[in-house]
Amino acid sequence: MSDNILILPILIPLAAGLAILATPKKWRGVKEAIALLATLASLGITLLLFGKSLFYSIPWAGFGISFSLRLYPFSAFIIAATAIFGFLTVLYSSSFLFKKDYAKLFYAYLLVSLSFITGATLSDNLILLLFFWEGLLVTLFGMIALGNKGAFKTATKAFIIVGLCDVCLMVGIAIAGHMSGTFEMSKMNIPIMGVGGIAFLLMMIGAIAKGGSMPFHSWIPDAAIDAPLPFMAIFPAALEKLLSIYFLARISLDIFKMAPESWLSYTLMTIGAITIVFAVMMALVQKDFKRLLSYHAISQLGYMILGIGTLVPAGIVGGLFHMVNNAMYKSCLFMTGGAVEKEAGTTDLAKLGGIGTRMPVTFACFIITALAISGVPPFNGFFSKELVYDGALERGFIFYLAAVVGSFFTAASFLKLGHAAFMGKLQERNRGVREVAWPMLIPMIVIALGCILFGIFNAFPLNHLIQPSISETRLHGESFAGFPTNMTLVIVTVVVLVGALLNHLYGVKKTGNGLGAVDHIHYAPGLSWIYKKAEKGYLDPYNLWWGIINVFSAVMSWIDKAIDWLYNDFATGVANGLAITLKKLHTGSYKIYILWSIAAAIAILVFLLKAGA
Amino acid sequence: MPSLIILVPLLGLIILNMPIGNFMRRGAFWFAIALFSAQVLLAVFHHSLAWTGKLPPVDALFKVGFTIDHLTFIMFICIGLVSFSSLLVARHAMGDEGELFKFINLLIIASVGMSGIVMVKDIFSLYIFLEITSIASFILIAFRKDVYGLEGAFKYLVLSAVATILMLTSIALFILVSGDTSFSTIGASLQSGNRVIVMLAIGIFICGLFIKGGVVPFHGWLPDAYMSAPAPVSILLAGIITKAAGIYTLIRITSAVFGFIEPVKAILMLAGTVSILFGAFAALGQNDFKRMLAYSSISQIGYIVLGAGTGTALGIAGAVFHLFNHSVFKSLLFVNASAVEKELKTNDMNRMGGLSYRMPITSATSMVGFLSTCGIPPLSGFWSKLLILIALWQTGHFAYATIAVLASVLTLAYFLMMQRKVFFGKLALGLENVKERGAGIMFVSIALAFITIGAGIFFPVIYNNFLLPIKEILVK
Repeated sequence: MSDNILILPILIPLAAGLAILATPKKWRGVKEAIALLATLASLGITLLLFGKSLFYSIPWAGFGISFSLRLYPFSAFIIAATAIFGFLTVLYSSSFLFKKDYAKLFYAYLLVSLSFITGATLSDNLILLLFFWEGLLVTLFGMIALGNKGAFKTATKAFIIVGLCDVCLMVGIAIAGHMSGTFEMSKMNIPIMGVGGIAFLLMMIGAIAKGGSMPFHSWIPDAAIDAPLPFMAIFPAALEKLLSIYFLARISLDIFKMAPESWLSYTLMTIGAITIVFAVMMALVQKDFKRLLSYHAISQLGYMILGIGTLVPAGIVGGLFHMVNNAMYKSCLFMTGGAVEKEAGTTDLAKLGGIGTRMPVTFACFIITALAISGVPPFNGFFSKELVYDGALERGFIFYLAAVVGSFFTAASFLKLGHAAFMGKLQERNRGVREVAWPMLIPMIVIALGCILFGIFNAFPLNHLIQPSISETRLHGESFAGFPTNMTLVIVTVVVLVGALLNHLYGVKKTGNGLGAVDHIHYAPGLSWIYKKAEKGYLDPYNLWWGIINVFSAVMSWIDKAIDWLYNDFATGVANGLAITLKKLHTGSYKIYILWSIAAAIAILVFLLKAGA
Repeated sequence: MPSLIILVPLLGLIILNMPIGNFMRRGAFWFAIALFSAQVLLAVFHHSLAWTGKLPPVDALFKVGFTIDHLTFIMFICIGLVSFSSLLVARHAMGDEGELFKFINLLIIASVGMSGIVMVKDIFSLYIFLEITSIASFILIAFRKDVYGLEGAFKYLVLSAVATILMLTSIALFILVSGDTSFSTIGASLQSGNRVIVMLAIGIFICGLFIKGGVVPFHGWLPDAYMSAPAPVSILLAGIITKAAGIYTLIRITSAVFGFIEPVKAILMLAGTVSILFGAFAALGQNDFKRMLAYSSISQIGYIVLGAGTGTALGIAGAVFHLFNHSVFKSLLFVNASAVEKELKTNDMNRMGGLSYRMPITSATSMVGFLSTCGIPPLSGFWSKLLILIALWQTGHFAYATIAVLASVLTLAYFLMMQRKVFFGKLALGLENVKERGAGIMFVSIALAFITIGAGIFFPVIYNNFLLPIKEILVK
């Protein structure tokens, strides 16, 4: 197999995306066909490439920047996952977006994004990676902006947040490249002392911001409401997590010399723990299907960051396994949300309820994936979370505690969500709800089955996908397949899950419906005040920044006005005053002119005689 | 050979005025055209021509002894170009053939006078040619015999009389010191002469030249004369006469006779700076198109004097180049002003507006002219100002350099105001039927605009072939 086949998974979606842009709007079905064929083709190629190691490099921009692609188990695994999710999302969208005006642009952006994600994953050169990475920023903006009325504002918000973090990444890459004298990732090995630590922090900001970690998360809940749903199902839920965690793993495990004792490890774990707890607390009180899911999309990223941040084998394997699992169940959950939205016309939980019997397949998929995300055995989420717990406990009890608290609230919020959306009394307005069409069902069923299989037969993903991705020196030859060995942790997990169920039953009994199941937490003394502020956006770092910037700009505007006055009023006033004075002096009388001349002549003569003689 | 520059026009004038027939009057225009063109072409291509060749029988007629150097060449080009422009505008502006014939006579006399000024090497002949030029200018200003023209001519006459008296006194003092009138002899004897008398003579002479050149505060006559003269005469006065009579002479006399001694340099630079600021501020307050241009002239003359005041080769080169540029772009602006005046029958800028719609070429060339005046690259005005600034910086006159740069902003201010009031914006009421003036005037505008652009773009060529050699006047 020739090396340049590596270009194909990048080129095919890109070409297909451009071709879709060029297709006339009237040709119904053509764009869907192109998108399906292209994603199927790249899926085929990536599966063909799976398990191989290839390197392809051609000179590109000079200064040691070459177009070099490297296929090895980790990147092969990520691009295969990307291709699978790409295909399933296109299949889902072909029904969901049917007859939508923006479908054409959406497919184009989606395919270009797939191409860029594949490119960024395969890049062995940091500059090339940056090229693809920044390209994603554009398609991200484009896809969010396609949504409803508020979408443009949300797209701008996402663009600013992610763009700023990308600038951090750029600076970090520049420093790293300068320190190691090359931009080839496979040749880099940078100590994290001093400037190296700064480079790592900057690149880490770029990586975790892509995934939507706190404090760079605040555009995701907004996008959940405003952006097209398939976007949510594939980007914040799946592909951005894959890319983000892939790059985080690369910089933590390969590019920088990180040891578990380093302060950067603690930084990562702290970010992970905070993200888990705060995002899940926000998710708990959401009253909208998609918005609730979006906070979980943030929270789950915390587990991955925490897992990788531990830098111990169990944690790393757990973090990466969780990345795959989360991509599966989270995109499936968003797809069920999309199915509900398509049928019921809303995702507001107060207007849903009881539709589980009307759409049994969707409900079944929801149950499976909700159990998976809550970490119930034997679904896949259970196994990856157990590994993360294991790693976190090894590094510090507080991190383990954060992860367990996150689990409790995750379970509680999904109990609430499922209860409020699918169970309870069917409302009058939802009489017409039916099961959705097969192109939307197939992706959900496939992914839900995957969640079961990856749980029961977890040895396959762990032995063939995750562990080969990590170098042998990190793993010390351990294998994590099979049922967790630390039974204490399993018992704690079960206790926590039962606790969440009891909490749910208590809440339902108290308020009488599923939607109010967590009201006793929501309106608990102290918490309700924080929730109120958070819901109004006071705690959104983005809004806080704008507050600071507004004060700054007010000061600047004042200074600017002062300078304007200096130029516009003061300077012209003085000039005009002088001009008028001079005009008045020129009376036209030649006698006065002669007098001026004589006076000046005398002055000149006096000066000359004094100075020269 | 140089004496032919004086003799040919004079003989031509005599023949043209012979009472032979009316066809002579028509021939006068073409004679003048040929004369000015030949003057410009000979000067531009001086490298390949034998200027210094002697014609013994002819040269013997003159006791004066004309000499030609690189400074003279540039002045020849200026004189020829401006006279040429003035002539074309006059032909367009003056309907009557008799008037035109009279004008051409005076124009040729003035240009002969100026050619003499830039060639002579002794102080008394200089005085004679200055007077020839001045007398021709008095009559030219009063050419229309209207009250404003007479008033302007009178003011010029009175102030010039003062200048004449000053210069004659100074010449007398120089003869007292050295016993001769030639530049070199006087220059040599100034070292040994009585310091009081020498300084007195230098001071008086400089004051006389300041009046002729319109340097502040000797400038009183200048705005009135420029404004009240007929259009072609304004061009001639602003473009070349004050420069040749006042500024060129100042540079020449200072370098050849006085030497750049410290007090003289100090006076030149101070007077230059005052002129720059004074002219610019006064121009800001004007509503009359031509009067504004007159004050602008004072300001630009200030730059020339300031540059010359540095006394270095670079400063003088910059000053001379600015003189050339000013001749070109100020002629251009006056040509445009006269076109506007002819069309609108007014010079009041408040009654103009939007003329770029009706007179696009006039508007565009004006823009070239004023941008060059403000020193916007790559137009020629930028380079001359740059040379002056570099010279100022090199000689350590940082304050003057700063003022010179900042005054460019003022220049931009009043010219932008002019352009906005006259050419930009909405077309003013009653101007719907305005159109471009004839092809002759447009030709002049376009040609001068192209010279401005070309001299800027091909500045290195000009610098090496015309400006750099000027430093020879400094070598005694």
